[in-house]
Amino acid sequence: MNKKYFYLLLLPCFLFLLIFMVIPILVTTLSSFYLDGRITLEGYRSFLTDHYFLNILFRTLRISLLTTTICIILGFPVAYYVSKLNVKLKFIFIAAAVFPLLISPVVRSFSWMAILGREGIFNTLLKKIGIINEPIQFLYTELAIVIGLVHLFLPLMIIALIGVMENIDYDLVKAAQSLGASRFTSFIKIVFPLSVPGLVVGSVLVFVGSLTAYTTPQLLGGSRRVMSTLLYQQSLTLNNWYTASIIATIMIVATFIIIGIMNKIAQKLNPKG
Amino acid sequence: MSLISLEDVTVAYDNKINILEKFNLNVEKGKLISLLGPSGCGKTTTLRLIAGFLEAKAGKFTFKDKNYTNIPVYRRNFGFVFQNYALFPHLNVFENVAFGLKQRKVPKSEIRKRVPEMLELVDLNGFEDRFVTELSGGQRQRVAIARALVINPDLLLFDEPLSNLDANLRIAMRVEIRRIQQELGITSIYVSHDQEECFSISDEVAIMNKGVIEQLDSPSVIYKYPKTEFVARFIGFTNFIDFEVESSENGKLLLNSNHSKFRALKTNDVKVNKSYKGVIRPESIKMKSYIENEKQSENSIKGSIKISTFLGGLHQYVVNTELGEITVNSDREPPYDAGENVILSLPEDKLVLVEKG
Repeated sequence: MNKKYFYLLLLPCFLFLLIFMVIPILVTTLSSFYLDGRITLEGYRSFLTDHYFLNILFRTLRISLLTTTICIILGFPVAYYVSKLNVKLKFIFIAAAVFPLLISPVVRSFSWMAILGREGIFNTLLKKIGIINEPIQFLYTELAIVIGLVHLFLPLMIIALIGVMENIDYDLVKAAQSLGASRFTSFIKIVFPLSVPGLVVGSVLVFVGSLTAYTTPQLLGGSRRVMSTLLYQQSLTLNNWYTASIIATIMIVATFIIIGIMNKIAQKLNPKG
Repeated sequence: MSLISLEDVTVAYDNKINILEKFNLNVEKGKLISLLGPSGCGKTTTLRLIAGFLEAKAGKFTFKDKNYTNIPVYRRNFGFVFQNYALFPHLNVFENVAFGLKQRKVPKSEIRKRVPEMLELVDLNGFEDRFVTELSGGQRQRVAIARALVINPDLLLFDEPLSNLDANLRIAMRVEIRRIQQELGITSIYVSHDQEECFSISDEVAIMNKGVIEQLDSPSVIYKYPKTEFVARFIGFTNFIDFEVESSENGKLLLNSNHSKFRALKTNDVKVNKSYKGVIRPESIKMKSYIENEKQSENSIKGSIKISTFLGGLHQYVVNTELGEITVNSDREPPYDAGENVILSLPEDKLVLVEKG
């Protein structure tokens, strides 16, 4: 094939994304700077000085960060274990990890409501054992949102990590041990830094996913709004498209900042990654 | 007392077939010993067992009179050089070499002194800041050797370290490895499937087959006097003739094969009236044209040329004889013709009797 026209392979996808993603994003973003016929930052000023809005922004970031951290802590050992299995067992484990993705977030959130509610499975169990007398408020808290999101996104983290970890040459670990590193040290000094590319991909997916998740926080968070549910309320309930475009822009910017920070961390941990 | 001793060691992968069974090996201090054999013979398993990457199902590994059987890898202080180098891709050359020193909590100032010294020993001074991915195969293996040596290991283990390099570099590197090993007087075990490589650098070579050492000797002894049919085949003997020992006196043997008498020196422990394989290299056999009614000297046999192949400086012939087909090298010009009658003589000091395999 003529190299000159090689880029034509990109064209269909490029056009699709241009029309249905880039242009809408630009329109949304630009309209957030435009109020009553003039260009202004007024909308951002009032959003970033409003305690109610700021609270929601920080809650969203807090929940996303916590979800990502928990996914890393839970996912890392699993991914390391699975990456060292033989092909057949690996397939079974990966299938098991992917399986929850087949269940809609709506169904999963309803299941969590059944588990975490006042009369839910969890509270009933705790009462039966005698640890508590009165039911604990799990549902409609930030914790409930985090639990739901971890459940939703852990597979992504595990798969991203396995992808990188199964390519780590196990001789490197043996080499580290022959040089005097214990099992733990060789994991920290060798396996961990070499897993960073997977860790970054997994973290970005989980973080951005948590930041933009709608169903889970809507169903498990109750009145505790996050950015996405706020966006929905402003646009479709209150018909306030101007504020909605500001929220959208802030979410886009936050996403890019997070990806930037993740890349910086990755470079620090693994300069060759 | 040997520095290393493996006693009745048994190793199995996944508790299935035993790769090694009641395996024994002793290595003297300061020696470089090679484990040589076809793939699956257990040489790498032996090396990994000594390194501590594998656990023995039974048996004992003694090092410097201490029981090392259950000492974990990271407390053994053995340097290991991998076939695929196993350099840390996220660290530069300096950090790779310094890795073992850091684990030993060596002060920074000393690390900064010892790493360049070691890089100089492997002829890589000035490469400290390079990343591993920027190095050629030969340079990577030098870094790997420096990394294994900088910790002052009690033992150096090589697992086919040159098999990923091209032929010229392999020869240069094996000279280098031998030089460094002798300069530091460090006991080493070297695994390879390349006979020439093992013979050129080792004090002693252990030829392994199916989890057993068939022969452990100096390279020159193995080359001249293999003990078993397997060893003889493995190191390039091509002629295998059935002989029965008629008598053994003063280190000389009288042999009988198909009613012809032959003489050979007694190099191995052979018994009278038992049958053995007589092995001889094609280049050790002398060949001349057959002349009618000429008196035949001892240890010779008549034959006719069956196949002739050109090997560059010489020809290789397959000769039909009463003892079967015998392969002979000869540089006579003009070469013998197919069907020509010849006399082969097998020098008594080149004809070696080995156990039938």
